[in-house]
Amino acid sequence: MAGTEPRDRPAAAVDYRTLVSEDRVHGSLYHHPAVFDDELEAIFTRGWVFVGHESEVPNPGDWVSRRLGREPVLLTRHRSGAVHVVANRCSHRGTALCWAARGTSNRFQCNYHAWTFDLDGTLVAVPYPAGFDRDKDDLGLDRPGQVESYRGFVFANLDGSAGPLATHLGEGGTGLIDRLCDLSPTGRIDVSRGWIGHKVSSNWKMWPESDNDGYHLNWVHASMVDATPDTYYNETVLGGETGNQSRAVDWGDGHVELDFRPSYTRALAWLGTTADRVPGYCQALEEARGPERAHRLLWDGPPHALVFPNLFLGEMNLAIIEPVSPTEMIHWHTAVQLEGVDDAFNTRLRRQSEAAMGPAAFIVPDDAVTAERIQGALAGARPAWADRGRGWLDVSRGARREQTGPGGERAALVSDETTNRGFWRQYRRVMSSRLTAPSPAGGAA
Amino acid sequence: MTGATPASTAAGPVCSAEVQREIEAFLYREARLADESRYTEWEALVTDDMHYWVPAGPAVGDPAETLSYINDNRARLATRIRQLGTGSRHAQTPASVMRRLLTNIEVLSVSDDGTTYGTTANFVLYELAAQSTQELRVWPGRVRHTLRRVDGELRMAAKVVELVTATLPQPNLAFLL
Repeated sequence: MAGTEPRDRPAAAVDYRTLVSEDRVHGSLYHHPAVFDDELEAIFTRGWVFVGHESEVPNPGDWVSRRLGREPVLLTRHRSGAVHVVANRCSHRGTALCWAARGTSNRFQCNYHAWTFDLDGTLVAVPYPAGFDRDKDDLGLDRPGQVESYRGFVFANLDGSAGPLATHLGEGGTGLIDRLCDLSPTGRIDVSRGWIGHKVSSNWKMWPESDNDGYHLNWVHASMVDATPDTYYNETVLGGETGNQSRAVDWGDGHVELDFRPSYTRALAWLGTTADRVPGYCQALEEARGPERAHRLLWDGPPHALVFPNLFLGEMNLAIIEPVSPTEMIHWHTAVQLEGVDDAFNTRLRRQSEAAMGPAAFIVPDDAVTAERIQGALAGARPAWADRGRGWLDVSRGARREQTGPGGERAALVSDETTNRGFWRQYRRVMSSRLTAPSPAGGAA
Repeated sequence: MTGATPASTAAGPVCSAEVQREIEAFLYREARLADESRYTEWEALVTDDMHYWVPAGPAVGDPAETLSYINDNRARLATRIRQLGTGSRHAQTPASVMRRLLTNIEVLSVSDDGTTYGTTANFVLYELAAQSTQELRVWPGRVRHTLRRVDGELRMAAKVVELVTATLPQPNLAFLL
């Protein structure tokens, strides 16, 4: 929908083409209520959003609770085996159907008037049905217009107007997911060990940025490096501007990566171990993929990347970036577990996840406090300041030395802001096109 | 509380009043050192096999099987304290201003050899997030200690903190809870 001109909706109140340019963004974008509202519409209602992973609902009746933007939804497994996404809200009078983070049920029954829904959202029973004139088939739970999955990663688009998921992900996005899943001997990952929520008093957009910023690590994470001097961070991201070979990559469409692969000097450096210490895993991967491919996978490790807008592939962690309000967000994470690998290996991944991610870990709390300091310092930045040269943030680093790779991706030094620019380029595109396009129903949004 | 005898069903205490007072004094001291971010003195209170656990829900089951906020063995706890001591742990620079109330202290069990005690207490911790939002954060919960007598002195062998809000997303938790 890029390039769509305003038609049946007045120009957006906030001019995103002004507030976001190639090398700077305006601070008002991080806290203005109108911007947040526009984002819920343009990004979280009209675009593809990550919901969850099929491994979270392995058996019929399993469900997990999520938010698509602010919309509460349930990711469910139907008796047919199909995965569905339905609103966690009774279609009668709006009562939330489930309160827990996850559960298993044959049906969802509302406690208010006992309307009962199947796992796919179909209304199956209401008490005293003779009093209703409307067809039951028209009273199912709200469902996203589109739900598709790629290698078990379930995405939804509420409006149903976002085109195929494959187009949204592109080769860049699918390539990132492939690189994670291919580390499993079966090609499948499992993320059913539960999610930890980290509540941060910052705008959600600081997390697509911070999670994929290769410039901050020497300073924000200095204490982690000092306390754990042997981590692979030393060789992949530290050592000065040109002291390592890692790259900041923009794969297009907002999917961006800190590519550590060129810095690894041995297999399994990304896991902080060596092949002889995890022989079961190495053998299983070799049997599944052949020695040559397995060697490459063991060397390269998982991606460190954003799948626009809300999925962070944090090496052997997944994180979901959930907007709560203009100044609040939740950074959810879980450990990636590899199917077909011994439990000792997956236990190691769980312990590493606890060390890296979440409110008490060694890494992310320092990002969180930084985000909160930014949030506080931007509180006064008004959109109207933009043309007075006040309240601008610079994301220009390394723009002139970006190179275009064989897949059309842009890449520069890992400390360059190529990843941030990639996020903001997509943000600008969707915020300035989707808000002015007609809604799928034909009316103005 | 491995090897400990459960508290008797009788109303009587499982330890002497003198030991009860000693345990309470230990818990108050531990709380005060944590409140004041006196990391090295706090670390001197733990045993070589200390387990420090803050689950993301009720403290049931094996913490190895799931994901917790904190699930530190002794080595990882040492890393945690080393990081706090670097002076550049931004999430605690400056350290949060904290005071906690420790109450409802009970000694629930004592091991057969009389060296290890299982205790429970309720707490409310008030934290000023001085390094970020300047807001007051309130952390209510229950804390269970396993205390072991080593060379005549009580030491922590386990500390399990069950937050009332454990199932909800938490703000930064980079101090000693």
